[in-house]
Amino acid sequence: MTSLGLQADPSYGVPGKKRWAMVVDLRRCIGCMACVAACKAEYDVPLGVWRTTVRVKDTGTFPNTRRNFMPRLCNHCDNPPCVRNCPTGATYKHEEGFVLQHFERCIGCRTCIAACPYNARFMLPRNRTRVGVNSVIDKCTFCEHRVSQGLVPACVQTCIGRSRIFGDVNDPNSEVAKIVATQKTTTLKPEKGTRPQVYYIKPDRVGTEQILSAPESYAARSDAEAFYRHNNGSRFYGGTL
Amino acid sequence: MGHIGNIKTNRRGFLKLGATASAVGATLASTRLVAMEQELGGADFSAVTGEKRTAVPYTCMACNIEDGGVAMVENGRIVKLEGNMDHPNTRGKLCAKGNAGFLHVYDPDRIMSPLLRTGKRGEGKWKRISYDEATSLLSEKLRAVIDRSRAANDPSILNETVIKWGRNRTGGGIDRFMHALGSNAMLNHTNICESSKKVGLEPSWGPDIESCDWENTKYILNFGSNILESAYFMNPNAQRLVDGVVDNKAKIVSFDVRMSNTAGYSHEWFAPYPGTDSAIALAMAHVIMTEGLHDAEFIRDWTNVTEAQLLAHLAPFTPEFAEQESGVPAKDIRRIAREFATTKPATTFSYRGPCKHLWGAYQEAAIHMLNVITGNIEKRGGYCLPRGMGWPQPSPNPPKGPVPSIIAAPPLYPLASHHVSTNAPYMIMRGEAKVSVWMYYYDNPVYSYPSSHVWNAFLRDESLVPFSVAFSCFMSESTELADLIIPDVTYLERHDPESMPSGLFPCLSIRQPVIKPLGGTQEFRQSLIDIIHKVDPDGALGARKYFEFDSVEDWMRQHFDSIPGLKEEGGWDHMKKVGVWPTYGTVSKDNGKLIDDNGEVVVAEYGLHAAEIPAATMASAVVEPDGSITKDGATIGVQIDGKNHTGFGTPSRRIELYKESFRKYGFNPLPVYKRLPSRDKKPGEMILTTFKVNVHTQSRTASLKYLAEIYHKNPAWISPARAKALGIADGDLVRITSAVGYMVTRAHLTEGIHPEVVAISTACGHSAYGRLATLKHKEADAEWALGGDPDITNNVWWDDKGVHPNPIIRLSLDPIGGSQAWYDTVVTVSPAQPGDKYGDTKVSVEASMKDYDEALRYAYTGDLHRAAHQEVDVDWNALPRPGH
Repeated sequence: MTSLGLQADPSYGVPGKKRWAMVVDLRRCIGCMACVAACKAEYDVPLGVWRTTVRVKDTGTFPNTRRNFMPRLCNHCDNPPCVRNCPTGATYKHEEGFVLQHFERCIGCRTCIAACPYNARFMLPRNRTRVGVNSVIDKCTFCEHRVSQGLVPACVQTCIGRSRIFGDVNDPNSEVAKIVATQKTTTLKPEKGTRPQVYYIKPDRVGTEQILSAPESYAARSDAEAFYRHNNGSRFYGGTL
Repeated sequence: MGHIGNIKTNRRGFLKLGATASAVGATLASTRLVAMEQELGGADFSAVTGEKRTAVPYTCMACNIEDGGVAMVENGRIVKLEGNMDHPNTRGKLCAKGNAGFLHVYDPDRIMSPLLRTGKRGEGKWKRISYDEATSLLSEKLRAVIDRSRAANDPSILNETVIKWGRNRTGGGIDRFMHALGSNAMLNHTNICESSKKVGLEPSWGPDIESCDWENTKYILNFGSNILESAYFMNPNAQRLVDGVVDNKAKIVSFDVRMSNTAGYSHEWFAPYPGTDSAIALAMAHVIMTEGLHDAEFIRDWTNVTEAQLLAHLAPFTPEFAEQESGVPAKDIRRIAREFATTKPATTFSYRGPCKHLWGAYQEAAIHMLNVITGNIEKRGGYCLPRGMGWPQPSPNPPKGPVPSIIAAPPLYPLASHHVSTNAPYMIMRGEAKVSVWMYYYDNPVYSYPSSHVWNAFLRDESLVPFSVAFSCFMSESTELADLIIPDVTYLERHDPESMPSGLFPCLSIRQPVIKPLGGTQEFRQSLIDIIHKVDPDGALGARKYFEFDSVEDWMRQHFDSIPGLKEEGGWDHMKKVGVWPTYGTVSKDNGKLIDDNGEVVVAEYGLHAAEIPAATMASAVVEPDGSITKDGATIGVQIDGKNHTGFGTPSRRIELYKESFRKYGFNPLPVYKRLPSRDKKPGEMILTTFKVNVHTQSRTASLKYLAEIYHKNPAWISPARAKALGIADGDLVRITSAVGYMVTRAHLTEGIHPEVVAISTACGHSAYGRLATLKHKEADAEWALGGDPDITNNVWWDDKGVHPNPIIRLSLDPIGGSQAWYDTVVTVSPAQPGDKYGDTKVSVEASMKDYDEALRYAYTGDLHRAAHQEVDVDWNALPRPGH
């Protein structure tokens, strides 16, 4: 059922194949962080690493200010550089589009982290609460274990604003396919040729600079410094202040 | 302004965005764009084994919204929570707090055994004892109070048994317990929450809150509520607010001194001077009435005032006056008033922002009035009555205690229907009331009350509090001062009946043990049964008969097994299986709304006040010339155009914009704006305001790692312009000084705040509540603690736990609603002084005692009350006597 190999065949638009994708409607995101907490619980994600985050950014000058939210997760690229760069085949692309990890094949070399333009991958620490997988690379799985059972991913399940929409983009009758076909959507860093499968509605609100920009406020900077003092080799998502 | 308008994109960012679309000229259609083909929830599988997780319904209690939830259990461990798809208002969603709530169960600092103090109070020396020993010890103390009362033939002594709660979701359990003991000394926490909102509303139209029809509205005026983060009822309201704004193209305008996520989401955000919301609301009413944009028919039929009365009353409250008080431009007030009145349907929502001030109840009443004069009450898309459901109490149910408790209901605050819990320690220190046994349940006043050091001093003082018992399972700032701890279990291991008016669909829900309580811990309800059985072993006191339950579950059955409709579906057993009743439909995969078996969207009921009085009831009723329907000396409804309506829950069955109960005590019977003392602060001073964030409650969630990781420190928000004037840079140490002392924290410069305001979140800055909240996670487990989360021990990366603002916040009370005026503390903000360290806090109990005296001068018997209410038509020399 899963294809293991260094080459990841593109599945977007391939007839008869599923290609899971997510649309994030930024008009509906209220930055509530329910997705972040739900994801942590679903997988026992340890402190200091994230499969999904929401970056917060204020812009404007009093009183004409606004707040922008930017939910992030693995883009489950149709042409994933992490898969191409994994030397052991630990990282692979599922035939339905999920980009996944074979933990037992992962040697923790971090090549995939370096290859990913989205900071979507991380090294699991030695200690976590209940799951015994440690010291290998982990990432968002689009909740493959839920999706294959007919459910939406955990972040989509709990999304209060119904901002995250999930489905098979190869099925022309699916909502995500209709949105991608008929609405103005954007993806992140398409120029990298990754063919990301997380689409954003209302790109005006994406706030491009915030996504991986250095923290600006002292509060955010000092959090980042504390993070880097404690965590070697992983990248801070930016915090909420 | 908000960020839903047209915003220019900056495409030079680190990440470039690429348009991957799309049909030429496609724009965002008004369709929902939220359909999904996969199942939306209700089941979960292990990511490791693929095994299906066991799903058990419960009701959330991470905060007080009481969302319906389903707990996912894997190998006997709760690993995941999600919203209950059958709950009509939760619709399968939980917020971040709700998602993280199961961490309470496995908090490594959870108290796993009753503890008896062995050292000095607060010293942290404990001896583990059994639940049997603990309940026996407490029973002896409680019995001693009863015996002393009987020996002295003085029933008032019974009120020396006191219980105070922060969250009481026992559904009558605590009342039953205390009344069985003959005591009325029950203290809630509502006056540090939104009580003046309730007191602004209740005499106006009956219930204490509104339920807005967010998804069907076209216009939302939000006064000082943070619907998208924290206010009642965050999750259900936020879901529907987004539906309203995105799908229904509703406009939202927010008034808040700080850019909350809600203000930041709004089309327009205005930052008024703190405590001036009612000036704005009254000015809008002024515009609406003078320009004839009001609903004359609704005012005539459904209120107790006339148009002429309102026009005369509103005459001074012009937009220009409101601009002068609030700083919000008169032209915007006019424009928004016109928009609000002419866009139908429309609604306001308000929460703590307006009402947590001196005279806060007026502010709420003024905002409420906007909905009334525009006829938006109980309309689809409008401002609706809350919809809740009740449950019967097991019989027999004890009567109240024989003597009123003056700390439970302080007589100087006769209109404060939710009482004045802040005052208890001051009253007891002053000798106005006496305590023998002080019990606390879900309560942490040493952290969460204004001038919290006063509670610390009070609970430490054995001459004032001879014996104290905490029922908490967490070692909070207050729990650590107890003599005895009888730990409850967490909300996922316990029984409670529930109903919350969190949407337009009334329902009941339950809490049940999702798993067996960890480590032999015992739920509070069982402890109450045990205690009463020990206080009254043979029933001779007459208390035991109220607690003849075979088990806690038997108690629940008595609540749920006889409710008509539910009974036929299985009563308690149905609740255990489904978690909620009734269910109105299923959540549509197409649009996220509730749909019935035919796929039709389930429509809520509107116009509750217009329900018709049954003919049988009308039989001996009299219709007065003004349409009032009276029977047996009481008004039971209102006749309009020959139809007999039940009306609102007020004495006149109409909306009482004119409140006789206010006038009686020298308060203005109509909504007014009173200029606050903080409005006249000196130019260099600032006003301290506090706030909640989306991932934390007031005091209980700093111990939850997923939430603490997101938000763990609370620097003081200051506007860059103001900070520059004060010589403060971003991140600088600052000293914030009020009349009761000072705190040292860091400045967080942000454009999202009124320049006269400094804002600090109350979520952080614990001195207790476990090792994570206090960043002592490297320390070894306490002997009584659950222990064991290697993730916390090893992976906590942040190093700042924040500084709590409550010590420097002054006690100050709305004399009408009895609410703590959280947002009135005037402070100076300055660069830290030499030697100041982050987290330094120095405060004075003596100074806080002076604030208590000052607060009483505003109470209805006080000199400042009279001075501020010369316009009120009342005989000042014949005000009702306190307590009468």
